Amino acid sequence: MVPSRPHVAALHGLGVPAERLDRLSAAFRLPPWRPGAAPSGDGREDSVLVLVGSADAAEAPECWARPFAAWIETGGILSDADLANAVERSRRADLYAFVTTATANQLHLAGRILQAITARRTLAGAQRDDMELALHEAISNAVVHGNLQVEGMKGLSVAALERFSHDLAERMADPAYANRRVEVAVWLEADAVTVEVADEGSGFARPEHIDYGASGRGLDLIAAIAEEIQLLDGGRRIRMRFPL
Amino acid sequence: MDYAIDVKEQETVVRLRGRLTFNDHAKLRALIREMLQNKAKRQVLDLSALEFVDSAGIGMLLIAREEMSNADKQLVLRAAAGQVKRVLTVAQLNKIVTIED
Repeated sequence: MVPSRPHVAALHGLGVPAERLDRLSAAFRLPPWRPGAAPSGDGREDSVLVLVGSADAAEAPECWARPFAAWIETGGILSDADLANAVERSRRADLYAFVTTATANQLHLAGRILQAITARRTLAGAQRDDMELALHEAISNAVVHGNLQVEGMKGLSVAALERFSHDLAERMADPAYANRRVEVAVWLEADAVTVEVADEGSGFARPEHIDYGASGRGLDLIAAIAEEIQLLDGGRRIRMRFPL
Repeated sequence: MDYAIDVKEQETVVRLRGRLTFNDHAKLRALIREMLQNKAKRQVLDLSALEFVDSAGIGMLLIAREEMSNADKQLVLRAAAGQVKRVLTVAQLNKIVTIED
């Protein structure tokens, strides 16, 4: 049986042209969000899907507060068909984000998702810090190594840091990389939070032997924090489960 | 992340503030350069006002340690608190870097 998910009841646009918003509102059969509107009354939480035109339009913290529960960036090169797919996937999760690599980085997506989780579940201080780190590491991996395909810092020298610095800036400035998508989906259960983070890179296999330089600790930190982690889709997707 | 440097005869104290993540690569390069240029043997990073550090931040601290060591200087991490202290512990940095309360 499919557990009862929050009911996606309305659509809200941030920096999306009115004409496109009207068209999408009709296509997804989601009315425009009206602040203070009466709940639909079937006992489930009403949530609102946000279409984000650009990172700048979603900077304010209130853009990530309740009742907003899904954020899909329409800018970049997302077709209506891809957008419809993302909307469909968002309906199967409690919280959902589908944004470009540049936007995930600019908005500090891990912190935004954590804000949305803590608005719905109580986390103790240390638990909150740990979950923020795990989300940050997973999203950083998706951004840096997945979508931007920048290799980690090999060795412990300023030269390694300079190479990393140079590659990161170059790839972030290239739309062919920076417009690749990061997807985050969150399922809130009574006793656990499950988070998936996916990228559009070339995949990743966890090496048997890790030659630690200045990089390579992210996944270990996630594994130390989460109760369980799984690498899926050739390493393009990580699933993490955190007990509450 | 921001930092402020206080150079003294015996030691240099660098106070880090904010969040230290992979996005701070340029700042860390500048900081390491400044730490190499001043005369003090002891280079102390005061982490008490640092709110968050990630694995890349840890990596950059290790690069700083290595570069100081190559220049016959000592790197000390001081007064980490909260999330930063916890990450230093989880990453077992005490085995590699001098950590002071």
